[in-house]
Amino acid sequence: MAEAGRKLSLAAWVWVLIAGLAVFELVAHPLIRAATPSDESWEAASAFVRARYQPTDRIVAAPSWADPIVRSHLGDLLSLRMAAPSHLAGIDRVWELSIRGASTRDEPPALEEDFAGVRVRMWPVSTDDVLYDFVEEVEHAEVELVAGDGSKFCPWVSARPAPGGLGRGPMTPKERFVCDSRRPWLWVGATVMPDLELRPRRCIWQHPAGTEPVRVTFLDAPLGERLVIRGGIDYNGERRRNHGPVTLRVWIDDRLAGELVHHDGDGWSGIDIDTSELALERAEVRFETTAQDPTARLFCWSASTLQGAGEE
Amino acid sequence: MNRRDHLIGAGLCVAYVLLLVGTAPDLAMSRDESFYVHAAKSYATWVSQILSDPTLAFERESIDRAWAYNWEHPAWMKLSFAWSWLAQKHLALFPNESLAFRFPGMLTAGLLLWLIYAWGASVMRRQGALFAALAFALMPRVFYHSHLACFDIPIAFFITLTAYSYWRALADSRWVPFVGLAFGLALATKHNSWLLPGIFLVHFLWIRRDEARAARIDRSSIAWLPSMLIVGPLVLIGTWPWLWHDTWSRLLRYASFHLRHVHYTYEYLGISYFEPPLPVSVPFVMTLFTVSLTVLALSLLGLYHRRDALRAPWRLKLGDVTGRRTEVLWLGCMLAPMLAIALPTSPIFGGTKHWITAYPFLALFAGWGLVAIIERSELEAWAGLRWPSWAFAVLCLLPGAAETAHSHPFGLSHYTPIAGGVPGAADLGMNRQFWGFTTGSLATWISSKLSEGGSVWICDTTNGAWAMMQRDGLIPSNVGVASSMGSADFVLVHHEAHFNEVDYQAWVAYGSVQPVFVLRYDGVPIISVYENPIDTNRD
Repeated sequence: MAEAGRKLSLAAWVWVLIAGLAVFELVAHPLIRAATPSDESWEAASAFVRARYQPTDRIVAAPSWADPIVRSHLGDLLSLRMAAPSHLAGIDRVWELSIRGASTRDEPPALEEDFAGVRVRMWPVSTDDVLYDFVEEVEHAEVELVAGDGSKFCPWVSARPAPGGLGRGPMTPKERFVCDSRRPWLWVGATVMPDLELRPRRCIWQHPAGTEPVRVTFLDAPLGERLVIRGGIDYNGERRRNHGPVTLRVWIDDRLAGELVHHDGDGWSGIDIDTSELALERAEVRFETTAQDPTARLFCWSASTLQGAGEE
Repeated sequence: MNRRDHLIGAGLCVAYVLLLVGTAPDLAMSRDESFYVHAAKSYATWVSQILSDPTLAFERESIDRAWAYNWEHPAWMKLSFAWSWLAQKHLALFPNESLAFRFPGMLTAGLLLWLIYAWGASVMRRQGALFAALAFALMPRVFYHSHLACFDIPIAFFITLTAYSYWRALADSRWVPFVGLAFGLALATKHNSWLLPGIFLVHFLWIRRDEARAARIDRSSIAWLPSMLIVGPLVLIGTWPWLWHDTWSRLLRYASFHLRHVHYTYEYLGISYFEPPLPVSVPFVMTLFTVSLTVLALSLLGLYHRRDALRAPWRLKLGDVTGRRTEVLWLGCMLAPMLAIALPTSPIFGGTKHWITAYPFLALFAGWGLVAIIERSELEAWAGLRWPSWAFAVLCLLPGAAETAHSHPFGLSHYTPIAGGVPGAADLGMNRQFWGFTTGSLATWISSKLSEGGSVWICDTTNGAWAMMQRDGLIPSNVGVASSMGSADFVLVHHEAHFNEVDYQAWVAYGSVQPVFVLRYDGVPIISVYENPIDTNRD
């Protein structure tokens, strides 16, 4: 009898457990839905940020999957450079619109407001000032395709952009330098590329042609204390880690100032060149890309000259 | 099993098909459906040719012309879609064209419920069998796939039917030919069926070992195997005219395509996998995250309850009663498809549809679990009434019902509360969708914005799926598909992690990062829509 009673009791407990699971699911389901912030919450939070926004502010979403929602409300304030930053220089404040308790930063914010499930936080950040952003100035550069002893200038043209689509690489901008119509990937221009982590990077597409360089020259760029260079290969090419490196050489007034050798798997990475000792206010800065095998080397880079001593 | 049981099964079938028909207009066609629709139309042309000029129809050139498209998959279901479409053309049976193509798949979903109930009622009390059928029907992803002109629910039906026929054949030799026929239809539906002979052989050896241990004189017959191996391929080839010429080389080509399948990119726990190995845990965690936890718990309970039926053959003693080891068969049919996907060498698929054939058996074990808990807790004896056990069954079905209702029409984006729901799954970095069918949820928005006509760059949606939405009246005929972002009025971006690149393409194409609309499901972005700044005079 005692055994039968014990079994009955165990079965009853299992019954309670299963019924409890069903109740948990039934209750959790509407609770999860109810916790979703309303459009009104997003609008109120966005209006709050918009009223205080300054052009050197960056706006981010947390968790990152909420980014399209934030951009739908505040995207008109975001330049491509701010939405797809190469690095954090030139930013004075970071605004974060977050839901579900997510956060992009650990330190306490200078400002915090809650709008029925959408939390707005702001941090002042201390970064270097950007003197010159090469990506935004690419239109004013000279682009050459070096071949043998000579080189061929690539004209800046307004041409048909790429159609877009999965696996098609970064979008070809309408206006760009076109180096070889038979090799449609040999263009130079500003685009946005997904890096190895699928994050957006505003950068200059400069696909290497081979061992002879594709050359981009900025004739009169202001120099500051540092030249910050970042680069990477398009997600679809770099993730497979089965191609050779790309070399980006940087020349300042015909002197080799730095070299970035990018291997698959490096992700968005780069070098910082100290330019403070050059004692130059302005200089000719040249960027050359080469690769032993240019196949699938969808290389894109960004560079800025910076002034100041930022912490981030 | 009696006539009443079949009436219940038929009732389940009809009710589910009606539910699917009623909810289908909310679902735009998926990528794969659009390919199968194209194939079905091509095959229908050939079927029509048989009637008009049979001599010409059976010439190799005619067969190859009609059947070369989509040779990657066998013909049976596409042929069913073709017949259904022909019926629609001549008899106008359905309110719209997409339903004509989808109806055969829906029918297999209904028949599968009938089969689950029938098999369940053969071995357990009816309450458990009914629960199993409904638990399967009320899995959100099953409900989504049951709508489609695809092969995933049909193959779940034909695999379950083959297993049932095999199980019957072990006790009744009159079922032997049906094993071959059912297996042939499974082969002719999808390659998941290739696992079946292996599962049956393991099961058969298990029961033969039982019989040897128990010193039974009459042993189970293996007649089912030649039936499968002879009738099965005959049905496959007989229903697939593409194989009627160059049979061996084409069979090899077909097999090779699936053995060396391309890898899809699939996001799982924050990582986009694009080459093997996919983590072994994928089918199990995805099942945990997409099937009602209550049903899963009942399945485990059912397995535990039937543990004696799963005992190893060497634990049998001389003279023990032996049976057909139904639970061993069910366990094999449940685990084999999941393990096949979990293998490190398997191509990357990821979607639950690839092991959906496991779920009828998971549901049957859940039925056993329900029976066990009702009987062991003496629910009926305690209350002196039958309704408490029915109320308990309903309570256990309610989460699945609520989740399924809410999952529609975002079935592939839905995750259960154990994953934190849709936003919780987004936090975890789980796949959000595939196939581009969610564009259907934007049909009204697009139609209102482009009332004067225009074009849309449709991202992961295919031109065929878009054309079907137009024929179904969801999208105006003057709103076309743009071949490039630059020429489109609107660009759609379906949110999957590896589609981020398309998002960034739209930014550059339009010089703006601001979508004009974000389609959301439980607050999670499903599609972003960008508007071409060159022409904004549409409203």
